[in-house]
Amino acid sequence: MSVELPADANAVQTPEEIEGVLGDLVIGRDDHENAPGFVIKPDTVVDALDRLREQAGFDHLSCVTAQEYADRYESIYHLTSYADRTKEVSIVVPTDKENPVSQSANEVFRTADWHEREAYDLVGIEYDEHPDLRRILLPETWQGHPLGQSYDQDRPQVVPLREHANPLKEDQQADDGETMFLNIGPHHPATHGVLHIKTVLDGEQVVDLEPDIGYLHRCEEQMCQNSTYRYQIMPYPDRWDYISAGLLNEWAYARTAEQLADIEVPEYAQVIRTMGAELCRMAAHFLALGTFALDIYGDFTALFMYSIRDREKVQNILEELTGQRLMFNYFRLGGVVWDLPEPREEFFEMTRDFLDELPTALEEYHDMMTSNEILQMRTVDTGVLPPDVAKSYGATGPVARASGIEYDVRRDDPYGYYENLDWDVITEDGCDNFSRLLVRMREVEESAKIVEQCVDLLEDWPEDERTIQSNVPRTIKPDDDTEIYKAVEGAKGELGIYMRADGTEKPARFKIRSPCFSNLQTLPEMSNGEYVPDAIASLGSLDIVLGEVDR
Amino acid sequence: MAGLLQGEALLPEQIAGLLGLSGTVGAAVGALIGAFVVGNVMLAQTGVAGPWAKRKITAGFTDRIAVNRIGPFGLFIIVADAVRLLSKELIVPQGADRPSYDLAPLILPASAMLGFAVIPMGNLGPFNIQLADPEAGLALVFAFASIASVSLVMGGYASNNKYSLMGGLRAVAQNIAYEIPLIVTAMSVVVFAGSLQMGEIVAAQTETLVSVAGVGIPSWFAFVNPFAFVLFLVANMAEIGRNPFDIPEAPTEIVAGYQTEYSSVYFVLFYLGEFLHIFLGGAIMATIFLGGPAGPVLPGFVWFIVKIWAFFLFTQWARSALPRVRIDQLIEIGWKGMLVLSFANLVLTAIIVGVIA
Repeated sequence: MSVELPADANAVQTPEEIEGVLGDLVIGRDDHENAPGFVIKPDTVVDALDRLREQAGFDHLSCVTAQEYADRYESIYHLTSYADRTKEVSIVVPTDKENPVSQSANEVFRTADWHEREAYDLVGIEYDEHPDLRRILLPETWQGHPLGQSYDQDRPQVVPLREHANPLKEDQQADDGETMFLNIGPHHPATHGVLHIKTVLDGEQVVDLEPDIGYLHRCEEQMCQNSTYRYQIMPYPDRWDYISAGLLNEWAYARTAEQLADIEVPEYAQVIRTMGAELCRMAAHFLALGTFALDIYGDFTALFMYSIRDREKVQNILEELTGQRLMFNYFRLGGVVWDLPEPREEFFEMTRDFLDELPTALEEYHDMMTSNEILQMRTVDTGVLPPDVAKSYGATGPVARASGIEYDVRRDDPYGYYENLDWDVITEDGCDNFSRLLVRMREVEESAKIVEQCVDLLEDWPEDERTIQSNVPRTIKPDDDTEIYKAVEGAKGELGIYMRADGTEKPARFKIRSPCFSNLQTLPEMSNGEYVPDAIASLGSLDIVLGEVDR
Repeated sequence: MAGLLQGEALLPEQIAGLLGLSGTVGAAVGALIGAFVVGNVMLAQTGVAGPWAKRKITAGFTDRIAVNRIGPFGLFIIVADAVRLLSKELIVPQGADRPSYDLAPLILPASAMLGFAVIPMGNLGPFNIQLADPEAGLALVFAFASIASVSLVMGGYASNNKYSLMGGLRAVAQNIAYEIPLIVTAMSVVVFAGSLQMGEIVAAQTETLVSVAGVGIPSWFAFVNPFAFVLFLVANMAEIGRNPFDIPEAPTEIVAGYQTEYSSVYFVLFYLGEFLHIFLGGAIMATIFLGGPAGPVLPGFVWFIVKIWAFFLFTQWARSALPRVRIDQLIEIGWKGMLVLSFANLVLTAIIVGVIA
């Protein structure tokens, strides 16, 4: 180890330099397709991650993947940097098969809390020094760890609520008698799905708050592990973030699988993908806007209906393009399933009409919403999420950008056609609910810019060069033991996928890094000490989709 | 016979006269029939407002169509909704504190109905629709209206539900904070009119304030003192718990507040009560600021109905357009803003009236 380390942490780039930072902690190499991988001992996790964060600028723990091999368990910490997304490293922590205990990374990255709970829940690795190692997606009474290799699928599981936890059994009064325990959800008008928030209130103020997730867990990862790369996995991503963000999710899988199997995508298909994805982003942001208005206004007001109306227009365009309104299943490995609908002129006209009307619609939103004094009173300086906290929790997407973190996978780790187009990454410095609202509204404008440029490109595309798919073999069998973690910018933030190939046509491990999962973790930070209505508003401003949180 | 219907006689006396009854029996029968008629007219209006008008109005504000399948303009939805709501199962939560759980939904509409007893609703044909005109009429109507908070607290507390409890507590905090500015602002009208009697207050607004191009603008207190009118309007919205002050219910925050646990008939009663209180709020506003039933050409009663519906429309407009304020902001607006302004208004009015008179 005689590598000269750069003085600036962000300048640490090459695997040799990273190895220099880690020093004697490294006991081996396990490189992934996307990043160098370093194997460390289970009791040096905190040390290693801390060094990487402090000395090498890896300040973003994007994901934690856990899996079981025939001879060992393994936790992988996928690290990257908010300043430079292309800089990635994987820290691989193998643990003993008999006694799978590994040190928790919670001390360095707060986001590890939930990620490690999930690893414990589904795979069965235990994390030392973890503050609260409980099951997270499955009920407390669940027997065994379903993604472990020795899991008995035939074993009946008895999981009624009274066995699991009965929140009504006791009065749940705190010892001091000053506070009140309140269950917000699983059925509540403002939880945007089935989310349960255990809340401790002092009068109207939130003393403590803990999201309880897993009500919508549908084994998405395992279903993907049981499906073939080529055809069977693609429909599933539509069902993660099912709020119109289908194409964005599909792209996450497409990008990862295409890099894993070394598939080229024709330029024409990339433009169509980019256009479709941005339309999806607009639709998703419109819904976020509408439901946030619902949370603040408290009723199905004009704003909610207006945003649904505009989302409807996007949905119509997407229906023309993909033939579906929600579960698009439009992307294929190596391209898209079919070309733009004929007659093309009509499709372009429809899209242009929508884009032309958009500024008026947005102005209306600004008139009614952002310039409304009561709304400003309600949202400015509430639900504050400082940038360093956001980074520690791995917050991405509009949530991070509203805290002033200039981070967007579309620009920082380009894919598709984004780098050839003219658009901006939107940030706001307010860190509050109002900023998150503004970021989404301004991102709609940016998406509109992208869509317009794509339409221009597609209109002039020579007819004989319209290749929508490259030649892809019928069966895809990536080499044994290749691993990859890749992310795209979903509607809610960084949507990543980890896959490990085992030489068959199905992935041996499929792990989804959901942006909502990480973003939701920040809710207690934003809400403690605030009033109940502000906690609800903060939840709304996070724009979570439980289908993606629970997967 | 015709003579009996003329003049200052109120509805109960007119009815007694028509039936040829007199004395205590006449007063009792007249009052009962009169109350029955007025009560049903008001209930019928809430029946139209709740299942139909509210939907139609909100739909108008939010670019939708709303109910249009059953009957002309979807009007028969009123019948369908009545059947639907009444046929639902009445669920009483475990540990509910009875009988206050059962009383709460009765008190809310009853308090509003009582309030209508002293409201002068104008003439319809030969009938003068007002049940009573006591000297302390204005004080009485506020007293009746504020019984509503008792119902909300009872319902909230008795439901054995934390959301309900929070809703009930919010209702009390809100009513205390806004009742005072409401009444103090109404006092400034009393200073003008020189009486608490509703009939007198309406009579004081009949003179012409100014004449513009031959059209006389009456001296409605809304024109005489617009500032008090706006103050009263805001306090009134808070008093009846409508947006942006729908804190006690606050769907999306505390589910439905005090009425979370109420279903079926009890739910209907709560809704009736809420709508009656909106109309009562409108009736009070009409009486003390908008000249009561006064208006050109059409009979007074029609104008009265138009005015209370105008207020109802206003509440629905606010509902479709305004965000809800937070509970602490609401209390702050009430105690730090409205209270100070309403007292300033009262003092200024008293000085001006004192100087002029």
